[in-house]
Amino acid sequence: MSELFADYRRVTMPLSREDARSLRAGDMVLLDGEITITAGLPTHHRILKCVEDGIDPPIPLQGQSLLHLGSYSQDKPDGGLEVLYMNPTTSTRFNPLMPRLIRHFGLTAVGGKGGLDAGCREAMAEVGCVYFSFLGGGAPLHSAAITAVKEVAWNDLVAHYRLVRLAVNGLGPVTVGIDAHGNSLFETLSQQAQDRMPEILAQMGRERVG
Amino acid sequence: MTFLGKESLSAMPITQEAVKTLSAQLYDWSLRRVPDDTKDALRRARATETHEGAQRVLEIMLGSALRAEQTDRFVCSDAGVPVFRVTLGANARWEGDLKAAIVEGFDELVGRIQPPLLKHVTNPLTNERGYKGKDMPLVTWEVESGVDWIEIACQPKALGSGRWAQAETFSFPSLADIEAYVMKAVMQAGSQHCPPVIIGVGIGGSFDVAAKIASKATYRAIGSVNPEPVLAAMEERLLHAVNATGFGPMGTGGDTTALAVHVDYSAGHGYTPVAICFNCWINRRTRARIHADGTVERME
Repeated sequence: MSELFADYRRVTMPLSREDARSLRAGDMVLLDGEITITAGLPTHHRILKCVEDGIDPPIPLQGQSLLHLGSYSQDKPDGGLEVLYMNPTTSTRFNPLMPRLIRHFGLTAVGGKGGLDAGCREAMAEVGCVYFSFLGGGAPLHSAAITAVKEVAWNDLVAHYRLVRLAVNGLGPVTVGIDAHGNSLFETLSQQAQDRMPEILAQMGRERVG
Repeated sequence: MTFLGKESLSAMPITQEAVKTLSAQLYDWSLRRVPDDTKDALRRARATETHEGAQRVLEIMLGSALRAEQTDRFVCSDAGVPVFRVTLGANARWEGDLKAAIVEGFDELVGRIQPPLLKHVTNPLTNERGYKGKDMPLVTWEVESGVDWIEIACQPKALGSGRWAQAETFSFPSLADIEAYVMKAVMQAGSQHCPPVIIGVGIGGSFDVAAKIASKATYRAIGSVNPEPVLAAMEERLLHAVNATGFGPMGTGGDTTALAVHVDYSAGHGYTPVAICFNCWINRRTRARIHADGTVERME
């Protein structure tokens, strides 16, 4: 697929603060480098517990990305790990927890699918962090971009809840859904749809009688 | 239509084993392939989209669907929970325990499927996840008059789109009331249900019947015309309305928020439940029949 996506800008993960601020809502990019992922609510609670207890989570998050991606990893015969597949989960499930994580760790990128709310968007603008919207139903593409499993933590959790650090090459394309300047496609589109709704309903009324 | 093999030409009863094997296969197949009608609808959407980012997202979707087929991998990492509709021909003959067949088929599939499934079956009282659970797989049983086959359809459901289903009960609603409620559900789902979606709407009956016919409506092929003229017109109106919201593919903007709206109804009593459910763009759906002579006909 790499030929198909040859015209997309590539950014290196973990994203530098400068790169994060260079992106604008609506931009589409490919990701190279290292990402940290989890799809688990209990995982977020554990990370917050680490914050409260003043200890580091098992995979360092300072200045890193924390992406809402779930994966299935398994042991390889050589002792390493491989990810068989990976895909985003709905980020809005984590709305109440993300502002604190974004601020505490100074995350430069979060992501998943479906977006995050205004509270998260404010935290992101404060620290210089972007939200990447991944294709749901994109497991064949996302999985092919993984080049190595660097670390897996909290193995007592089901596979997709574990905290996982991966090396990726050309992950995406992803859409910048929320930029570091306070612009959110999700909020803009939701507001736009609300503004359009009276006319949408009126049009349906005209079609109903017509 | 594909005939997968003739196990017997005599009118033997349809076996528990046949139902077990086929139900497991239907679930497995559904994970690896976006249905043809859905890919066609995505291609049409890509051709008509006016939003550049949306054109690109639709292109990436089609790329993902193609790669899943080429590599025999899951389109989505979330295999959902196994959801089946089984239609028993009123003249069908079978032997054994068909309910147990579907449970056993899923259990065996969990043990052998490659790549393995993540644990998605969730106890709603504890949120613990595994491969087994009360009433799992979820099966809707129906009887159809005048036929002697058994049809099994599979549509795995996961949180991504399943989360946004809802129902409300009205008293003698107008069509305008019903359509406004559908739009309210569309607004609540917003960017979050992996659009462009297939929307099922069930009107009337009782509370459970409305949900059942809404879900059943999502199995209909995209592009098929509702035989009820009032509903055909409603489907067209709603599709235009949903796409006028502008949420677009993956909810990041565009003209394509839904690929289809399918509506069905049942007579009821003045209190009118309206149920709405969503299938994400990959629209996982497979269906096959076991005929009286034992042949298996894969339909999608």
